[in-house]
Amino acid sequence: MSAAPTLERLSRNAARAWLGRHASRPGSSLLSLASATLALYLAWIVLDWLFLSAPPPWAAASSCAGAAGACWPFWMEKSRFILFGTYPFDQQWRPLLASLVLIALSVATGRMAVSGRWPDMRLLAVTWLCGMAASFLLMGGGVFGLAPVDATRWNGLPILLILSTIALALALPVGVLLALARYQTRHPLLRRASGAYVEIMRGVPMVTLLFVGVFVLPLTLPKGMAIEPITAVLVALVFFHAAYFAEDVRSGLMSLPAGQHEAASALGLGFWQTVRLVLLPQSIERAMPALVNSTIGAYKDTSLVVILGLHDLSATARMAFSDVAWGNQALEAYVFVGLWFLLSCSYLSWIGRRLATRGAAGRSRSTRNSD
Amino acid sequence: MDQKLQFPADKNAGAPKIRPAISWMDAGVGLAILAAFVLIAFNIYSNMTAAGIRPGFGFLAQQAGFDLSESVIPYDAADSYLRAILAGLANTIAVAAASLVIACIIGLLIGLLSVSTAPLARLFALAYVELFRNLPKILVLLVIFVAAVNGLPTIRQALTVGPLTISNRAIYLPWLSDDPGNTLWLTASLLVAPPFLWLWMRRVARRQALTGRRGPAIAVAFAIALGIPAALAFVLDAPLTLSWPHLAGFSVEGGITLSIQFCTVAVSLGLYHGAQIAEVLRGGIEAVPDGQIEAANALGLRRGQVTRLIVVPQVLRTVVPPLNNQFANLLKNTSISIAVGYSDLMSVAGTAINQTFRPLETMLITMSIYLVLCLMVTGALNHWNARIRGREGRSAT
Repeated sequence: MSAAPTLERLSRNAARAWLGRHASRPGSSLLSLASATLALYLAWIVLDWLFLSAPPPWAAASSCAGAAGACWPFWMEKSRFILFGTYPFDQQWRPLLASLVLIALSVATGRMAVSGRWPDMRLLAVTWLCGMAASFLLMGGGVFGLAPVDATRWNGLPILLILSTIALALALPVGVLLALARYQTRHPLLRRASGAYVEIMRGVPMVTLLFVGVFVLPLTLPKGMAIEPITAVLVALVFFHAAYFAEDVRSGLMSLPAGQHEAASALGLGFWQTVRLVLLPQSIERAMPALVNSTIGAYKDTSLVVILGLHDLSATARMAFSDVAWGNQALEAYVFVGLWFLLSCSYLSWIGRRLATRGAAGRSRSTRNSD
Repeated sequence: MDQKLQFPADKNAGAPKIRPAISWMDAGVGLAILAAFVLIAFNIYSNMTAAGIRPGFGFLAQQAGFDLSESVIPYDAADSYLRAILAGLANTIAVAAASLVIACIIGLLIGLLSVSTAPLARLFALAYVELFRNLPKILVLLVIFVAAVNGLPTIRQALTVGPLTISNRAIYLPWLSDDPGNTLWLTASLLVAPPFLWLWMRRVARRQALTGRRGPAIAVAFAIALGIPAALAFVLDAPLTLSWPHLAGFSVEGGITLSIQFCTVAVSLGLYHGAQIAEVLRGGIEAVPDGQIEAANALGLRRGQVTRLIVVPQVLRTVVPPLNNQFANLLKNTSISIAVGYSDLMSVAGTAINQTFRPLETMLITMSIYLVLCLMVTGALNHWNARIRGREGRSAT
């Protein structure tokens, strides 16, 4: 009985507060309205394109011709092609397995980074090396009764994963060494050389490095030695990413208080012991968010290899809609690739955010303890 | 062995030790680098002579013999390779400038939306930023290129939007007609107005340092920027007629032409870097402590004054270093335009490699140019940053 007027008064108060809030800031309310309209309009376009005006997945390819929406039959028909390209059809379990190995390794490493519980580094390194070798053997064949497959037919997802995960996994140790070389002061030439290397690499576009890998690297080999374009690109990517990792690790090293290595030398630790036990664990922990950022950038940029004629996802997508029967499905093909990148990059950014919040919490805790 | 390397903080620690002028490690590193270079040079030399090519930069003077999709500076196939590379460089700078303008506008809009008081606007900005941060730039470029080529009308049915004529081959803008009087007027205005503007800004800065007042700085600057060209047009008697693009047979004549390749590269990089610039701005604006704005309100400053005098200077201080990075990245990222066939520096270099089979020389030149461009951009912005910080240092003393 008595609840009704109270409720009424409450809702009247809420309405008045709502009105007051919006009347006092008309600009903000207008902005809200405009963004809501725009967002709804965009959502409607996407919904309409994806479902309402789209032919169903089981429809014939010809039903896409007049439809305004997305061509689901194209995705049904061409998804596998976009993922694995021209790899022999009956052998496509091999690129699938190779991709799964690399994804599993990356996800496992990501989970270790988020939890902060690392196994023995030697074990991790050996596992990664085995995974890389396994993916190359699976793709190339010629052993264990696997039919050999030419590297020009390695397409799509496995190429993207090989060139990103393997290049990044190899670039990290190189980057750490470069960072240490630039950090120490006893050997000025070593310091200068690594500094110059890092600055030059960071001052040129990645595409130029890819060109150097594909066109100049073969020239620098002794006569008679040849190098596959994919290997050449892999080498170029390792050298390129290493420079960015080096800067991240070096900023971590620079942020360490001097007391750390003073304490280490007071304990009688040598250079490599200090680096391994004291400096690197802390500096890499501090550099983690930056390292994850560089990793995301490098992973996205791996798709630039399409310029060099290596067929990663965006190239197989283009091949898929170059097929005469599916000539108008360019958008569908690229949406498929875009979804893969959105998903994988969101996972990586999530790791980065977790690490950043954990790093900040850890540091504030440690400063509290030292106070 | 273990004790040989040393850390920065040890430099001043303890008694000075006597060291050889060059450490063994350094000598080893130097020798290793030298040996690697000699080996590589030998291999390159023998590989190139085996292919019948003498290494050297003499080919730059030879006739290039290939056409560019377009060129900011005059170029045709009979020109030399050097000229082709310069044309590519000019195209790179043009597309970088256009992308930069678009990226700054988008970045400013989205960045302001992301700190606005309207939650939906913030959500919209967040969605935009996340979308472009999680997509490769080359994918953005390819999608926009395909959409433009398939979606825009052919040249016969070109759209006319205000002064623009849009087709799937190019976008056409009205421009000063090709008259010697116009060219003279444009050159003269570009040469005369900037020095006067610079003198005026210096005068304003001096006056502010002496009296703390700026006076009508912006109004006079506008008057100079508009008045001098107007006066010059009167003095030089320039016709100032516009040439409007119009359909003539199978092409459009008159005005200036921005090819669809140029437009898609500029728009893609603009959208892509716009998201990153927005993120930088958001970080900078959120870094301004609330107390600063509350204090300014308590002092009775008006809203515009709070923004101009309290917020913007502090935001500038925090965003200039990351923006510097963004501008350099944008410049480097123009090299993806090779994927849609815009003749930038990288794509000219690629063609030159295919024709001459001189990847070493071509890539050395190309990478040096990119490196110098990048150093110029970061150098200029670092200089500006130092000036902002310097001003802050002076006012503090």
